[in-house]
Order: sequence, then C-alpha cells, then structure tokens
Amino acid sequence: MAAFSPKTGKPKRGVSLYSYSGEYGVTMTMEDMFADIHDLGAEGLEILANAHIEGYPEPTDAWIENWFRLLAKYAIKPVEYGHWIDSRLYPGRELSTKESYDMLLRDIKLANKLGFPLLRTKLGVIDDDLTPVKNWREFIAMALPDAEKYNVRMCPEIHTPTVLKSKMVDDYVEFIEKQKTKQFGINIDFSVFQTNPLPMWEGQDMSTLKFSPVEDIVPLLPYTYVCHAKFQNMSDDFIETTTPYDKIIGLLIEHGWNGYLLSEYEGVNKDVPGYSSAQLRRQHILMKRILGQD
Amino acid sequence: MLEKECIQSRGFRNVSEDGKKVGFQVCFRSLYYRGVWLSQLRPATVIVDDETFSGDQVTWMIGGKVYLQDELAKFGNVNWPLLEPAILTVRKPGGLKQGFHDIEVQYSYSSSYMPPGMDELMVKLQGRITRRLILV
Repeated sequence: MAAFSPKTGKPKRGVSLYSYSGEYGVTMTMEDMFADIHDLGAEGLEILANAHIEGYPEPTDAWIENWFRLLAKYAIKPVEYGHWIDSRLYPGRELSTKESYDMLLRDIKLANKLGFPLLRTKLGVIDDDLTPVKNWREFIAMALPDAEKYNVRMCPEIHTPTVLKSKMVDDYVEFIEKQKTKQFGINIDFSVFQTNPLPMWEGQDMSTLKFSPVEDIVPLLPYTYVCHAKFQNMSDDFIETTTPYDKIIGLLIEHGWNGYLLSEYEGVNKDVPGYSSAQLRRQHILMKRILGQD
Repeated sequence: MLEKECIQSRGFRNVSEDGKKVGFQVCFRSLYYRGVWLSQLRPATVIVDDETFSGDQVTWMIGGKVYLQDELAKFGNVNWPLLEPAILTVRKPGGLKQGFHDIEVQYSYSSSYMPPGMDELMVKLQGRITRRLILV
C-alpha cells in the first residue's frame, strides 16, 4: 500500500478557523481566535487561505512574522491550509490544466512558507453530484513533485452528500495507488456520518439524507491524513446530537489513527458573539472524554 | 472591525467632481466566509429608494483601485479580501439628498466547489442585502 499507514497513537485535537466565520473581522480578531483555541488545549489549526491570510496570495513579511508570533505565543501548530482550485474562475469557461496547476502551485508554496504540512485542496465540480472537474488527475499529478519538494500533502475533502463508498472516493484511492504517492490523500468530513437531524429539522423527512456507516472509514484510514470534526449541535451534556462521535473517534483510536481532528462548527448562531466559541468548548469536552484526556 | 450588517454605514456619502455632486458611494462587506477573486464576481445592482442602478452606472473599488463592472471578469489574480468592504460608486448627477435612504445591493459570485447552477444564486440564498442609511 502506497500511503502512509500510522499504527500507533491517538487522534489529536485541532480547530478550523472556519468555525469562527460568523464573527471574524466583526467581533473577533485573528488573535482572538488563537486565544480561543489555546483555551481548548487544542494543538493545531486549519486556516482558509483566502479568508485568513491578509494580502493573500502575497502576504507581507510583517504579516508572516505576526503569524509565527501567534503560533508560538499560543502553542498552536499549523496543520491544514484550506484552499480552492477555482475551476470557474472566469465566467463561461473552465480553467485549463496549466492554469489549475499554477493556482495549486501558488498555494503549495505559500502553505509551506507558513509551516503547513497538509492542504485541504478543494476541487471545482461539474454537476449536482459534486463530480470533480475532468482534468483533476492531470493537474494533481503535475503538482506531486512540487508537493514533495515543499513537503505538503494535498487532501480533497469528502463531504456530504458524498458518501465514503462512492465513485469519487474510489477514484481518489485508485489515483493514489497508481501514482504510489504520499503527497495526495483525503480529508474525511464527519458530515458523511450525520445520522440525526438538527433540532430545527425535527419532524422533517430525513429519508433522503445519505450517510456512511462509520465502519466505512476503516479501509480509507491509510489515505486519510486529516479529518474535519464537523459538528452542528452540542447539547448541554456535551453530546453531539447529529453525529455518532463516540463511535467514529472510538474506531479511529482502535485503529491507531493519529491524525488531526479539526473542529468545524457549522451549526446555528455563528454570528452571535461567543456562540461558536461555546459550541467549540462543549465539543472539545466531548472529544477529550472520548480520547481519555484530562 | 467591520460593521455586522453587510451594507456598511461608514463610507456612505455623496461623491463630488470639480465641486459638483456626481453620485454617491456605498460600502458593503462580503458575507461569504472566504475572499473571492474579482473574476468570480458578477456585476452589482444598487437600488436606492426604488431607483435602480446597474451596469456602467456602478463601479467597484477594491484595494484602492477602481474597476468597471464589465472588467471584473478579467481580474482572476486580484482578490477581494474578506475583511475589506468593497466600495461601490454609483453615478447619479446631483447625488443623494440629505437624510434617510433605503439601500439594496444585489450581486453574485461563482463558487467552483458548488454545483455550477449555484453561481448566480450564491448571494440570493442568503436573503436580500438591504439597509436604511443616513446621508449627512
């Protein structure tokens, strides 16, 4: 098997700054988000390149200096650099393979400069089923040597409505095996395991909600370099009511998967000051309990 | 820091050239969670007190540079930063009168990881962008 297959250790906790998207720039600064994550005892973070990097794609030296100051001050590791290959960048046409590669390479270099080992590489899609653009294999293959040179791994995200047993995931795995590469893998978003509705959906028909049995993650673990710990509703007794967290993280522990679980809050009230922060605190109590951390 | 509302109060004023009021400007922030490239933007329409302005009546200012609406599609290398309000300048000889004005901004942008049909709907799905502002 080509991909790196960790056998020891436990998942690590991190946070995606996406969680604060309703407050960033309005009621929270970049440093506020770092301070918040530090309180959770989380070790790592994900940024979204063209949300959080001032001056993107060419941040100033002063910005980069401040970036490393914040990482050091709050003892947080850069884990995942979220970026997009905007295939529909220009109206009426799709990016060529070369244009897509150029866009990707720009982010590979910047991610490396900011200390990130992983990229959440969001591909453009061509239909309602979220089928990736036809030329994804070509430009990803072109970037593999660059990813190796800059020591990063590109990971498209597997997100609802996609399920783990699907052509899309099969295609990614086939590509990885064919290329025998460690520079391309997947990010599994826990939305694929969502079995219960949000409280405000109560009573609605959930039969169309597609979800993956938790066990389906096991054969994919060797290719899974990071997970989005997607959550939508933490109860007062620290249970995520939509997604079977105990089972998912339990299975990850059982299989010695030691990548990052990056919290991604996608529930209600994101623009209510303090709401996302409180949801994150609840979720990290849940994850610490499952992980057996104090 | 930005104002929570999409349409910002700060920056709302008349614009003068050679001592004459030639229009007004209104600033709005992106409610999307990431910055977009200018070529992802679709032309904006500004409605003020039921008067509609679009096309070449409206220009965008981002990063201190002015862009005509039909030029936006060319700039795939210029980012509209998330924390920077775009300044829309609307040509309206005489400008707006002092006092209250009901403003609506309509625009859209492409988002390549969403189904292609969503490109024209990205903003509409979040509801109308309106605010009553005061011109001094």
